[in-house]
Amino acid sequence: MPKVTINGTEIEVDKGKSILRAAAEAGYDVPHFCYHPALSAPANCRMCLVEIEGVPKLQPGCYSQINDGMVVHTESERVVKARKAVLEFILLNHPVDCPICDQAGECKLQDYYIDYDAQESRVRTEKQNKVKAYPIGPEVVYDGERCILCTRCIRFCQEVTQTDELTIVERGDRAEIRAFPGRELDNNYSMCTVDICPVGALTARDFRFKCRVWLLTSTDSVCTGCSNGCNIHLDHFRNEVQRYRPRYNPEVNDYWMCDEGRLSYKSVHTDRQTEPKVNGATVNWHALAQAVADKLGKVEDPSQIALVISPQATCEDIFLAKRFGEETLGGVQFYLGGKLSGDSDEFLIKADKNPNTRGIEAVFGGTDSLKSFDDLLADMESGAISVLYMSGTDTPCDAETRERFVGLLDGLKLFLHQSPHAGEFADKAHIILPSCTHAEKDGTFINFDGVAQPIYQAFAGYGRSIPDWQIFLRLARAMKKPFDYTFLTQIQEEMFAASQAPEPEPEPEPEAGDDESSAPPPAE
Amino acid sequence: MPDIIVTLLNLGVVQILLIVFVFVMGLASMMTLLGDRKQSAKIQNRVGPNRARLPFINHPLLGIPHFLADGIKMVLKENIVPDGANKTLHLIAPGLVFLPALVAWAAVPFMDTYCAGEMLIDTATWTETCQGEEHRWFQIMNFNSGLLYGFAIASISVYGAAIAGWASNSNFSLLGGLRSSAQMVSYEVSLGLSLAGVLMIYGTLDMNEMVRQQGYLIGDWLPMWGIVVQPVAFFLFFLAGMAETKRAPFDLPEGESEIVAGYITEYSSMKFAVMQLGEYVATVFIAALIAILFLGGWQVPWLFADGFHFGSTVIELPYWLVIILRIGAMCGKVVLLVWLQFMMRWTLPRFRYDQVMTLGWKILLPLSLANLVVTAFIMALF
Amino acid sequence: MAKHEVKQVERVEPGLWEKSYIPEIARGLKVTIGHFLNNLRPNKEKHTTFTREYPDVPTDYYPDRFRGLHRLMLRDDGQVRCVACMCCSTICPANCIHIEAAEHDDPAIEKYPAVFVIDELRCIVCGLCVEACPCDAIRMDSGVHAHPFTDRGEAFLNRDLLMEMGGLSMAKQGGER
Ligand code: SF4
Ligand code: SF4
Ligand code: SF4
Ligand code: SF4
Ligand code: FES
Repeated sequence: MPKVTINGTEIEVDKGKSILRAAAEAGYDVPHFCYHPALSAPANCRMCLVEIEGVPKLQPGCYSQINDGMVVHTESERVVKARKAVLEFILLNHPVDCPICDQAGECKLQDYYIDYDAQESRVRTEKQNKVKAYPIGPEVVYDGERCILCTRCIRFCQEVTQTDELTIVERGDRAEIRAFPGRELDNNYSMCTVDICPVGALTARDFRFKCRVWLLTSTDSVCTGCSNGCNIHLDHFRNEVQRYRPRYNPEVNDYWMCDEGRLSYKSVHTDRQTEPKVNGATVNWHALAQAVADKLGKVEDPSQIALVISPQATCEDIFLAKRFGEETLGGVQFYLGGKLSGDSDEFLIKADKNPNTRGIEAVFGGTDSLKSFDDLLADMESGAISVLYMSGTDTPCDAETRERFVGLLDGLKLFLHQSPHAGEFADKAHIILPSCTHAEKDGTFINFDGVAQPIYQAFAGYGRSIPDWQIFLRLARAMKKPFDYTFLTQIQEEMFAASQAPEPEPEPEPEAGDDESSAPPPAE
Repeated sequence: MPDIIVTLLNLGVVQILLIVFVFVMGLASMMTLLGDRKQSAKIQNRVGPNRARLPFINHPLLGIPHFLADGIKMVLKENIVPDGANKTLHLIAPGLVFLPALVAWAAVPFMDTYCAGEMLIDTATWTETCQGEEHRWFQIMNFNSGLLYGFAIASISVYGAAIAGWASNSNFSLLGGLRSSAQMVSYEVSLGLSLAGVLMIYGTLDMNEMVRQQGYLIGDWLPMWGIVVQPVAFFLFFLAGMAETKRAPFDLPEGESEIVAGYITEYSSMKFAVMQLGEYVATVFIAALIAILFLGGWQVPWLFADGFHFGSTVIELPYWLVIILRIGAMCGKVVLLVWLQFMMRWTLPRFRYDQVMTLGWKILLPLSLANLVVTAFIMALF
Repeated sequence: MAKHEVKQVERVEPGLWEKSYIPEIARGLKVTIGHFLNNLRPNKEKHTTFTREYPDVPTDYYPDRFRGLHRLMLRDDGQVRCVACMCCSTICPANCIHIEAAEHDDPAIEKYPAVFVIDELRCIVCGLCVEACPCDAIRMDSGVHAHPFTDRGEAFLNRDLLMEMGGLSMAKQGGER
């Protein structure tokens, strides 16, 4: 392996690595704009210039490969001076409207300016004006003045989504990013360009002006939009999810996530049911558990009870639901709920829109012991099922069948609805058990590929909702057959032992030199 | 005078009403307003309470509406008994502070006995003798050991403080109760001893008799008040009395930064008010004692039952006017002394607790003993 | 380094006169009683009272940098100057500024505060919001005291109220074409 000396540190690196990468391995950060670890390196911003001994001119670190015996300086006087010059050049026409720029706080231009430039503008002429809020796509807004023309967005559309919407129009200081005529930035991953844009030129329509990034707290989580289970930073402020950002995980989603999943956070805050209710009357959890125990205890034949398991729940919730049905109630019928399958593509989006179908398979040892949702409808019609314990609001069926299902609910003797959301079931349910969304609890999802991924609680549950597993614990205790758990970790240990499911993968370390992925925004 | 009033006067009912409820309570509660707030405001160049208004009267009225509002607030507030407190004792304690302070007033004379007959003035010894029936109309009760009675009763309030501190089930209260009982017990010693000299001179424990004796004019012009014959005892008694009633600068049982409000911490509503009022009444009582023992009580200098005697010139005054003047003098002296105590309060910084104890045991006590010895020597010599 | 002058202060040992306390207490009483009597005089002019009975008697003198109620400055056309950058609400130690930003119809302005509420009861009048504002949009130089409120809700001053007190700023206005 070739040996290089970077700022006096000698290091061995793989052949063919760029200087920027090698420097990162040696522990030196080389400032850069246009380089992104997942994209090709066009070397057009010149921010990463480094000094190589024996080479008269400064070289772009993102592009130049290392050679054996190379001696590189990334912090020498010449380099720092060059960076200052590059920054001044980039800032020539930059509006510096940081107060209204959503990027402020996580803007590389701001950071590097503070680190290397930190001088007042010497430009005495009017700055070049461009369109400030150009709708470059349905989800993305483009600000030509702020753009530093690093072409990351263009390369993303070329290399990652391979949809080629974007290009540079005009030249010199009038150059701007535009979609090709007749097109717009409307691919399924368009909002990833917002993430990779090093400045505030591309902003997400959804997040625009919603919250300053320095106010956000970031919690590691997993997107629940489909069974791909993209890793995310769940950024929240004042108990509200403000946005999702993809979190680097080379095994699952790399640096990306789809737009639909990114916007799926909205469900955390819509249509929530927050109060435990028995026959429409709000009660406390204790009273509710007593009422449920009382009513379920009166059911003579447990096989009349249907327990709908939702693949939207975490493995721990499903595990306890299973134990609750099999041991506490004894011999209930399990049915499979969840969402209907949808579109898919070759990249990230999967047809199975449930984040934890593999979790059910792991807990139940395959889905054979679960009846399908159609069976449930049939059984309800035939009267074989008179008590329905439904978790989640989703049903794997089309609108028509769902209507039929909602109609059938009236014929039930007892309908328990355990879900964060109210749906159409809220006024039909005899007992409402409000549970938490994935943002409000800890747990594990297993994605389509069998990768078990932990999610973490970002904020306290809405109203008086509590996680599903705690609901089952309470119900079991009220039925005088308590489970022997207090903490989630106890459940996890037993669950993994029981199902021999793989332990959650240790978080893969982001690759060196990568910047976009993991650093949470500076929290207060 | 209508018979009924005379009967009531002889029974002491009117005196109780006037002295206890009008004078003492009135003065004590006004002190909370004017002394604590308005007076301090004037001293500290402030305005003091002036925002509350009576209905239809758009004038601050010296802040008196505040005082009324405070009263209403006290009555209407929730009465809180802390968890784990001894309910009975917690309830009794305010009474134990308040009642002795009131009962002690029974022995305080506001005027000489009312003489139904002729008064004889002997200008050689400067004594008055009544030729006829005497009525004790200006004193609730008459004992020949009134002073002892006053002390005995007043010292009961130590129990109130101690019990309040203990029964509240609060550390602050307990510490406050301990501090105040220790302080009161310590200063009672000097309080009593500083009086021994005075008692030797007067040779009586009857308060009215003491005041009568102070009518004597030394060299026919200087009233023989206690402060003249026993100046050291006056200062000792004044200091010990302030410490005894826990007025600043001796208000150690309270201290926002250390033990909150001491043994009153856990009291609220009327119980709190009663506690506070009890302390003020005790303050007034000490002022009355000082007035009687050292400042000639109801005596007005050179005024005798038939008028002013300046040397040999006599300005004749009717007997009823003399009575009014004398009652006024007594009340005025009490008010003045109370005012002075408040003045001290806003002048002097607080002591530290060990300083208070040092002052009591190492300075006041030896001084009062010395005073006693010196007085005894002088008495023996002459 | 500058040369430090060390001044030795003699410790005053109290003599017997001071230690007997009585004359010193009398001296102290003289001061307090002097104040007391002086402030009892019927002629209020002669009082040495410092208290100003605001708002009955407005005070005659305000320092130049007196911080009163907030106000929001205006653009030349009377619109709010604030661009809802939330610098003020971020720095506010009392957490009493609530801003909801929105997209402005005029693309030159882009961002403006749809909701801007200051809880004047929570405000500790530190003035940090004024210092933080990059646009000279918020000021505390209205000269108006936070008056007593009888209802908590009254203390929430909203954008329009704050703008009523506002005025034009001399600072350069952003977003011009
Ligand atoms: S892109 Fe960065 S430097 Fe430019 S206005 Fe936005 S935050 Fe400021
Ligand atoms: S919009 Fe952003 S990512 Fe695209 S070229 Fe401009 S600065 Fe780079
Ligand atoms: S003055 Fe201080 S406390 Fe008041 S709003 Fe401004 S920053 Fe907040
Ligand atoms: S007042 Fe100033 S600091 Fe506050 S949001 Fe508006 S522009 Fe920003
Ligand atoms: S030129 Fe290397 S990062 Fe842009």
